[in-house]
Amino acid sequence: MGGYGDVQMLNEDGTRMDGRRPDELRKIEIEVGVVPVADGSARVQWGTNLAIAAVYGPMEAHPRKISRQDRCVLDVRYNMAPFSVTDRIRPGFNRRSREIGKVTANALESVVQLELYPRSKIRVEIEIMCAEAGTRCVGLTAASVALADAGIPMTDMVVSVASGKVNGVVILDLNKEEDNYGDADLPMGILPNSGELVFLQMDGDLSPEDFQEAWDYNMGAAKEIHEIMVAALAARYGGDD
Amino acid sequence: MSIPLVPGLLRDHLRELSERDERVDGRGRLEGRPLEVEVNPIERAEGSARVRMGDTIVYAGVKFQIMTPYSDRPDQGGLMTSAEIRPIAGRNWEPGPPSEESIELGRVVDRGIRESGCIDVNKLCILPGEKAWQVIIDLHAISDDGNLFDAFALAAIVALRNATLPAERFDVGEDERLELSCTPIMCSYHKVGGRFVYDANGEEELGGDERIHITLGDDGHVHSLQKGLRGAFTSEEFNDIMGAARARREELMQLVESLEQD
Repeated sequence: MGGYGDVQMLNEDGTRMDGRRPDELRKIEIEVGVVPVADGSARVQWGTNLAIAAVYGPMEAHPRKISRQDRCVLDVRYNMAPFSVTDRIRPGFNRRSREIGKVTANALESVVQLELYPRSKIRVEIEIMCAEAGTRCVGLTAASVALADAGIPMTDMVVSVASGKVNGVVILDLNKEEDNYGDADLPMGILPNSGELVFLQMDGDLSPEDFQEAWDYNMGAAKEIHEIMVAALAARYGGDD
Repeated sequence: MSIPLVPGLLRDHLRELSERDERVDGRGRLEGRPLEVEVNPIERAEGSARVRMGDTIVYAGVKFQIMTPYSDRPDQGGLMTSAEIRPIAGRNWEPGPPSEESIELGRVVDRGIRESGCIDVNKLCILPGEKAWQVIIDLHAISDDGNLFDAFALAAIVALRNATLPAERFDVGEDERLELSCTPIMCSYHKVGGRFVYDANGEEELGGDERIHITLGDDGHVHSLQKGLRGAFTSEEFNDIMGAARARREELMQLVESLEQD
């Protein structure tokens, strides 16, 4: 968090530069089955963010050393396309994408019923095609829907969303400018049916009251996003959404 | 890419189909798969395209950077094309440094664009010896069901034709459209069951032999050729597919022109 507190990010009437209320999400669109050669896939357009996630497997765990006798392993990768940001990023992994891949894997491992597939591997590939802020949340949400599209048994889908603070006001779902000039960012991975958390990060500076408000914003938004995820799956497979 | 075992059964099947002048998905020998092109789907790129050919889906994104011109060419900018086949694109694509396959893909697409001269590198110069534009085309496959070459090449030229030089962001003047003097288009043919077919799908690639990539510019000019994989072909076979490529290029050119954005 830069903490450039003097940059004005809120309008006089309390709305944000992009016209949203403090507790309003960006527009989210989800489509499943977008990678025809994969076993499951999803595209999430979230504001200007565009993430595509694909799932391959369960398949034989390879290389052998990663194989577990009693469960399946999740092989999760998060990657940003070179053209996904304003200044081109060199292709290939960096420390940031490795870390996000790891915490995403840890979140998904908490819901996928891994013990059903001993000695197997499920590959989860997340590609950020266009980035605006909050790509780890968009990627994790896309991966959850892709796993559901692949028919992988899960106890719940992970819904990921972040809140933060700009100009002393707690706001939901930061955009790029709010992320750059804000004081804090609190991304969470929430299981909408149980209210449990499987992913949590935070950086910045929040008072106890602000922290609670950001937490509550995320919890409320998770239900809203979950409905969009379920509707996307229902659009492909039918059933009640 | 890990090469899966090619079942002899698949090769036999493709051979039998070929003898009956049929293809595995019911197409004619020189017929392409259904084609969809979306212009500028990536807001952060200065030009972009999404191409879908059957179940093959790729993106191309154009970015510009300011470079110092090379000392032997102080009044020229640069062009770079890079293809990355990430493991999202298919079961057999593996993580790690760029594979030989993706390096060949990037280089063949690059040669078609570079050698056609469609980008005038002299016009990319901002201040001789000090500042010039570098054009970077990144090719990104999302779903590989064969013929990434043509999908990448088409996505690249559509992205370039709809790209804007971000001069204001770099404080070197006003934003302007990238000018192209011609339109190189690639057509690829793969020998399957003993004869060349256009736009091979994944199954045909798996059970096929050599492939030939032809990039044609305006007025029938040839700008790049590449023969890949194991196999030998005759002059007659080459003349046949060159004729097919000339006809197909005109069809694709009409599509590309119909996509222009203001």
